[in-house]
Amino acid sequence: MTRRVAIVGYGCLKIGKYGADVSENEMAIKAIKLALEDAGISRGDVDGLITTPNYLLTLGLQLSVISEHLRVTPRVAAEISCGGIAGGLALKHAINEIMLGYADVVVCYGSVKESIRFKNIAMIEPGMGLEIYDPTVQPYAVAGVIWAYACSGRRYMYEYGATEEHFAVACVRDRDNARHNNWAAFTTPITVDDVLKSPVMCSPLKLLDCSAARDGAAAIILSSEEKAREITDTPIYVAGVGEHHDSSSFIPTDGCDKSITTFVATREAAQRALRMAKISVDDVDVAELYAPFSPQELMLPEDIGWFKKGEMVRAIMDGSTEIGGKIPINTDGGLLSRGHPAMVTPLYETISIVRQLRGEAGKVQVDGAGIGLVHCEGGMLNNCMVFIFKRGD
Amino acid sequence: MSWPEIVYLQPKITGLTSKFWEGLKNRKLLASKCNDCGERFFPPRGLCPKCLSENIGWVELSGKGRLHSWTEVHYLTPKPYMLGVIDLAEGIGRMVSRIEAKQEELEMDMPMRIDFIDVSDKLTLFIWKPDKLPRP
Ligand SMILES: [Zn+2]
Repeated sequence: MTRRVAIVGYGCLKIGKYGADVSENEMAIKAIKLALEDAGISRGDVDGLITTPNYLLTLGLQLSVISEHLRVTPRVAAEISCGGIAGGLALKHAINEIMLGYADVVVCYGSVKESIRFKNIAMIEPGMGLEIYDPTVQPYAVAGVIWAYACSGRRYMYEYGATEEHFAVACVRDRDNARHNNWAAFTTPITVDDVLKSPVMCSPLKLLDCSAARDGAAAIILSSEEKAREITDTPIYVAGVGEHHDSSSFIPTDGCDKSITTFVATREAAQRALRMAKISVDDVDVAELYAPFSPQELMLPEDIGWFKKGEMVRAIMDGSTEIGGKIPINTDGGLLSRGHPAMVTPLYETISIVRQLRGEAGKVQVDGAGIGLVHCEGGMLNNCMVFIFKRGD
Repeated sequence: MSWPEIVYLQPKITGLTSKFWEGLKNRKLLASKCNDCGERFFPPRGLCPKCLSENIGWVELSGKGRLHSWTEVHYLTPKPYMLGVIDLAEGIGRMVSRIEAKQEELEMDMPMRIDFIDVSDKLTLFIWKPDKLPRP
């Protein structure tokens, strides 16, 4: 790395349904204001502004509205799109621009009202967004993306002996954690039985196995190491970034050899990030994983490397991924209970890890957390990123 | 067969791959074959994924395969239906298709065969069903 990069501030709104009274841009400004206050810096210090798409059909020009509203004049500005991984790519672009010396202090934000357009991350109208699939997949892909994740879950049950109860335990773990997260959308306690009895969406997935599209806005401030030392006593350094795109889209259809229960892109991205950070996977103290549906809560910790394939069937039951266990996962509630404003979710995940590494996580604090991992994805995990963050010494 | 209550969406058919859809009308499952490098591939595409040639021909497949996974779709549909992932017998690709079977009849990796449905005068779709072997 030419220059080390640190996270020096964050701000976010509670995830939920915001309605017509507040615009996506106003939500963005609110989140950025909170982040500036957290960092204790002024708008004049900001020389980069990077965001993810919202759905205002502004041709990527929302940044111009935001920069005028904030009265900032960034040297670096971009809106970055690539499915659900957009928030991760926005962070990576910020990191790169700071590393290369194009900017010193960058605000990375996202703001979306996804609850209006989506329901349970299925498109709300049959056929909406159908172009994401190959034409041969289109005729029967009526139910958004849930069917693909459901087929992945069903195959995992067959290959590794998982049951719907195992998936439900992951939902309950996430909900128990979300209860202590001030910005989670879903905090009412649930039981395994509640999950099993919730309405079937695409078998074996029921309503509570699915993340729900919600509105949210979050901002993260990154800076060079030099600036970070001026700004904060608790800089959170970027130690590793890994990215990988498999040659596939949703269910891999080009050939019959690719697994739908293990995700090459997650494995490769994790290995790259760990290599760059010069650590082993067991050095990680706490992790946020991008699992839009409960079966993937079992697959991803295996693909990242904490467990062998199939071991999560046991590990989800014995507390290995809970606070105090081998690797605490989704201590803020994950996508399933935090709520899933997809274009902002990777930023919420990162905020969760920053709070853990600063020791601010309250009732869900992992004792002595020094290294955290964030995973995010696009498609059906065809495209993945992994970040390693480290508390400053 | 006809199935008036079938739930389907109009696929986005382009000129380069329209032969695949014409094939369905004629009760044939077609895959693409590159006339330059010989690669057989599925899904059908206008350019060869191996050599990017646009000189693409067509070959008929057996219409047999194996069930890689499935789900019963209850969401955004007036009536639940089975959706499956089929590994084509030729090993060159997978299809995502409606399955004509009850959930309890399905098993992982079971043999499947294709059937065809005329959903309108202009469009014929595929549907897969368990390929029950005659008992010896
Ligand atoms: Zn070719």
